[in-house]
Amino acid sequence: MASQLLPLELIDKCVGSKIWVVMKGDKEFTGTLLGFDDYVNMVLEDVTEFDYAGGQTKMPKCLLNGNNVCMLIPGGEGPVATS
Amino acid sequence: MENHSSDSRDPAAFLSSIIGAPVTVKLNSGVVYKGELQSVDGYMNIALEKCAEYVNGQLRRNYGDAFVRGNNVLYISA
Amino acid sequence: MADTGEQGESVSEPLDLVRLSLDEIVFVKLRGDRELKGRLHAYDSHCNLVLGEVEETIMTVEEDEQGQESVKTIKKQSEMLFVRGDSVVLISPQSPS
Repeated sequence: MASQLLPLELIDKCVGSKIWVVMKGDKEFTGTLLGFDDYVNMVLEDVTEFDYAGGQTKMPKCLLNGNNVCMLIPGGEGPVATS
Repeated sequence: MENHSSDSRDPAAFLSSIIGAPVTVKLNSGVVYKGELQSVDGYMNIALEKCAEYVNGQLRRNYGDAFVRGNNVLYISA
Repeated sequence: MADTGEQGESVSEPLDLVRLSLDEIVFVKLRGDRELKGRLHAYDSHCNLVLGEVEETIMTVEEDEQGQESVKTIKKQSEMLFVRGDSVVLISPQSPS
């Protein structure tokens, strides 16, 4: 049996580093992942919120509800670095 | 829902650390509430004190106290 | 969760705010641009509510011939109302200012 990495173990490896969170719908967030729980509720630091219109909102710290999370990208720079 | 290897900064610890502090709560609808965080529960239901409601960034109303049902919450920001 | 140490305040969990509003006039914001004001007779953990002497306000956006949008509000009165919790967004014990 090859050892496999469970999805939540992958996220656990991201604690302390930058992460890009893509929500259901149009919203995206980037920030430093401080922690998370089994529902993938996440505590983020130095957060940037991107709305679909291209607007950005900065927050020092936030708890993101896991309910509408779609995809997590470790080390992601957010929708800005698409070049 | 207790934590894995990490220790202090999981969601539950974050919430207890910001009780009593001024917070911003954004709902999935885009409506924003600003106020003092009285309490939160496991559903992310929230009680806010001195709560102001913003729609499209503009102040709409003020509430002395407000209970926000957790399923509408997108994030809580310190 | 972690709140056992800090008792003494009457609001130790969010639903306590609703409990303290029993038999008082509350303002309720619902999904779909609806608002209610009425006396809170009963509630449960889902935020199912029973309200008496209710005024319901419904806000709709109407478009006239020129394509101008205007907000129209409709008010309805009810003697007694049951609200299913899943449509509740916010409950406030005092009327908003």
